[in-house]
Amino acid sequence: MTLIECKHLTKHYRRGAEQITPLKNLDLKIDRGEFVALMGPSGSGKTTLLNLIAGIDRPSEGELIIDDAPIHTLGRNSLAQWRADHIGYIFQLYNLIPVLTAYENIELPLLLHNLSRKERHRKVARALDVVGISDRYDHYPRQLSGGQEQRVAIARAIVTEPTILLADEPTGDLDRETGTAIMNLLQQLQKEQGQTIVMVTHDPRTTEWANTLLHLEKGQLIEQVAS
Amino acid sequence: MRTLRVIPTVLKQIKRSPIRSSLTLGGIAIAMFLFVMVESMRSGVQEATEMTAGETTLVVYRENRYCPFSSRLPQYYEDRIKQIDGVASVVPIQIHVSNCGASLDVVTFRGVPRDSIQHAIAKDGVIVEGSISDWKKRGDSAIVGSALAKRRGIKVGDLFSAAGIDVFVAGIQETSQAQDKNAAIVQLPFLQEAARKGGTGTIVTQFNVQVENHNNLELVASSIDETFAHDEHPTSTFPEKAFVGRAARDIVQLAEVAGMLAWGALAAVFALVANAVVLAMRDRVRDHAVLQTLGYTGWLIGWMVLLEGAIIALIGGLLGGLAAFLTVQFGQFNMTMEGVNIEMATGPSAAIMGVVLALGLGMFAALIPALRLARTDIATCFRAV
Repeated sequence: MTLIECKHLTKHYRRGAEQITPLKNLDLKIDRGEFVALMGPSGSGKTTLLNLIAGIDRPSEGELIIDDAPIHTLGRNSLAQWRADHIGYIFQLYNLIPVLTAYENIELPLLLHNLSRKERHRKVARALDVVGISDRYDHYPRQLSGGQEQRVAIARAIVTEPTILLADEPTGDLDRETGTAIMNLLQQLQKEQGQTIVMVTHDPRTTEWANTLLHLEKGQLIEQVAS
Repeated sequence: MRTLRVIPTVLKQIKRSPIRSSLTLGGIAIAMFLFVMVESMRSGVQEATEMTAGETTLVVYRENRYCPFSSRLPQYYEDRIKQIDGVASVVPIQIHVSNCGASLDVVTFRGVPRDSIQHAIAKDGVIVEGSISDWKKRGDSAIVGSALAKRRGIKVGDLFSAAGIDVFVAGIQETSQAQDKNAAIVQLPFLQEAARKGGTGTIVTQFNVQVENHNNLELVASSIDETFAHDEHPTSTFPEKAFVGRAARDIVQLAEVAGMLAWGALAAVFALVANAVVLAMRDRVRDHAVLQTLGYTGWLIGWMVLLEGAIIALIGGLLGGLAAFLTVQFGQFNMTMEGVNIEMATGPSAAIMGVVLALGLGMFAALIPALRLARTDIATCFRAV
């Protein structure tokens, strides 16, 4: 069942006098529950596509339909609301708020929903449990290792039970062993909870975890492989 | 309500950036302390010198004299003033001060005839300790104003000495009138003798005149001055508050200059909050981009910035305002010049105004950064990281 559909999706922006087109006339469908890895060289349009799906950026042309909603037509505030309801985003550099504890960082997206303090607590506790860092709930980001920070970031991304989990090189800043643990965690989320995951990566080992590999080059889909 | 749910997060951001927050709070608190102190002084001057409707007291002084030591009027003027139309009562008063210039701690003695003591007590005056009958029993006794008593630690039964005059404290007068709560009322012959002004007991400093109808205040003043215009001792008669304003003109000017300090303090609050907010925004570009990714709208993040500026300014304003209020309350400061007292306003209005202004300025200072942030799209935030 299709969850994400891109129709003739194009993105261009200006850098000085030059027009850059990182994504050109892209057609793509991603099914619900898939674990998709977006691969390709730098400048191939991977992160642009991820940001368009996340509603962080808007397409210049074409249509982007996610869970039957035409995302390309939404205004700025509606898009923010849509992100809060449907998207969990994992950054390469974790991007936790340094003055907030792990618990408070994970709670941040829940403040946008009409939930009681008790409900928020239950959801945060569950997310902490899923990523396996319940004992670090009161630690600040500076008191955590890179792997632990990324686990907190994953907990923050999944705490609202989003429709899609997006990850931008989630293991790019981690050592091999920790990176493997994070990938196992993402795979566990996909297999056990049916979470749809779209991940940008340069790591060729990704085939061990993702079901679909999308290879982009110069803003176009070159190859789509089911692994 | 999202706007309310994010308040704890804003408070944590303030609390967990202790150096920046405490420096900003300290600066705002000092500026607001200065502002409230200056405003208390200006309010005190305004209260003491601005005429109000219904005023019925005139002060008759020697013409072209400004200091109690040089204003000398014959006591027999009392009878002639009483005969002028519209005059209700006259009290001859001898003033003796420990210092004629502007000072923060001057003791003012007022000598009044023994039988006129009821007219010399302030309209709202209450003898809270001792009694008038005790005052009448001893020639060297004094009714001491509450502020003077508090400042000098004087109690009923004490022997009190100032400006070379020794008096016995027979009562303490509680009143809202600055002129009365900072003075010691003694018996006129005693003061004339003790101060050795005239020696014969026939010279006084001034007459306080009550008129029958407040609408005739200026008319009665003119009549008094006309009566003595060609006399050996011509007079200048003023409504009491105008007299205070004239006598304490240097203090009034000082208060006007101090007003500029108050504006400076407000400008400092604005600059401190704006600086703190701009620095915080610069440090948190990445955080704001992350919040937008999580689904926070630009307006909600702008609101958080506005709230942070307002909370810092409010706490700083409260600290400074409260410190200034307590200082004025317990300090009982009054400025005396040429025998008239101007008290710093001790009410909470200056402190409340200070806190409200600090809050308003804090919000205003944070408004432009907040609006800019609210309009910045998420991709721009990420590019700035």
